[in-house]
Amino acid sequence: MEHIIDPIALYLVCGLGAAGIALALPRRGKSLELVGAIVLAVALGLGALILGLKATDSGQPIPNIFFYPFAIIGLGAAVRMITHKRPVYSALYFIMTIIASCGMYLLLSAEFMAFALVIIYAGAILITYLFVIMLATQAPTGDADELLDEVDAVSREPILACVIGFVLLGLMTGAMFRGIGSLPEPQMTQAQASDSVLAFLPKKIDKVLEREGLLDNGWRVARDHETGHAIIDVDARTIELELIGADAHGHNAVLATRTLTSEDWPESLSANNLDRLGFNLLNDHPMMIEVAGIILLMAMLGATVLARKHVELEDNLKAAQARKLGTMLDQSQPASQSSSIHSARGHA
Amino acid sequence: MLDALVSMNTGSVELAQLAFPTEMSQSVLAPYLFVSAAMFAIGLIGFITRKNMIIMFLCTELMFQAAGLALIAFGRHHLGADGQTFVIFVLCVAAAEAAMALALVVLLFRHRESLSASAWKELNG
Repeated sequence: MEHIIDPIALYLVCGLGAAGIALALPRRGKSLELVGAIVLAVALGLGALILGLKATDSGQPIPNIFFYPFAIIGLGAAVRMITHKRPVYSALYFIMTIIASCGMYLLLSAEFMAFALVIIYAGAILITYLFVIMLATQAPTGDADELLDEVDAVSREPILACVIGFVLLGLMTGAMFRGIGSLPEPQMTQAQASDSVLAFLPKKIDKVLEREGLLDNGWRVARDHETGHAIIDVDARTIELELIGADAHGHNAVLATRTLTSEDWPESLSANNLDRLGFNLLNDHPMMIEVAGIILLMAMLGATVLARKHVELEDNLKAAQARKLGTMLDQSQPASQSSSIHSARGHA
Repeated sequence: MLDALVSMNTGSVELAQLAFPTEMSQSVLAPYLFVSAAMFAIGLIGFITRKNMIIMFLCTELMFQAAGLALIAFGRHHLGADGQTFVIFVLCVAAAEAAMALALVVLLFRHRESLSASAWKELNG
């Protein structure tokens, strides 16, 4: 079976990457970050070169040219994220990784997910991380590395971890590249994949046909009587049209029908990524939305319970607060009795 | 090779105009999977080596990200939207995990005044 990439070259790249990361991980004493960075750059460049050369030699298509900068930026930022000594910079480098993978999502024609990722990951999740980092870190005032916390300045078992990680990578990619030739071909044709949801969107078809000047006055796309779906054939590229008008009794009725042939199928008539994703989510996986809702609700409850703080009040402050509450609740009740109100929470 | 790249590029600059996704060859899928696997390995290394609990959780997010990239690439290969749908779910789980993890970190930090995972050594049994 043909390998997409020569196994020896693959393991070489993995080994170089492991060495580079092991050198670049934070340590006390003389910093080897620069050496590690050079080794890693060599590994990344070698990997990209091997993939590109192999593909052009065998005449197989290669990924879009934009893939390479996105991949290199993404992986480079990921490495910098785990090697940087300051947590805030780590989080910022992670945002860079996210944005690079958004670029790859765009190349994979997942536009909606790309933008959702920027908004949700880079915009919300990472900002939460930044807040917690700033809340929980006693930042040193100077720039000197000696002032850094022990936590950030030293890594635990760097060599062992790099060996484990890159053996895993080598095995995963080796198996993947060998097995990828036996992946089944897509189950559906290109037209079915992109346009089968168009039947759910008769109004969209109407709008496109009208813009293209293919609909005369009173005509529209034929709808199925029960479901209301448009009657189109995406494989044969034909569209049924119907003429709507008042019949003898004055009701709206179908007066005539005709068929648009495949020559008339407009170029711009196709379902976009958002149509396909939306129908896939709501038609094929409706339960997922419920499950996601429950997960998010539980996470919210859990986070609230875990992170709330037991507030220690001074005794006289507590008494004053209780007196105030007492006068608000019951004017006649003496203040001294209500001063026994405790904080709602016991000790954790 | 450069000629091939240039002709490839002018022939198919496919950024956001892929209303008709064409079939994707396996030799195009493989590099995406390699990037995904490498990202996962880097996240794993970070999780093992770093002592700061926040960075450790950040590394799990990196692993989520790698899984998402693989899902999208496979979904693209099969021309379906299932991969993208599942990435939405992964995003939900990542958000929930971030909320819980950060609450935990804040709680643990309050007890020991340290972010080090080894401050909780006695938990290893």
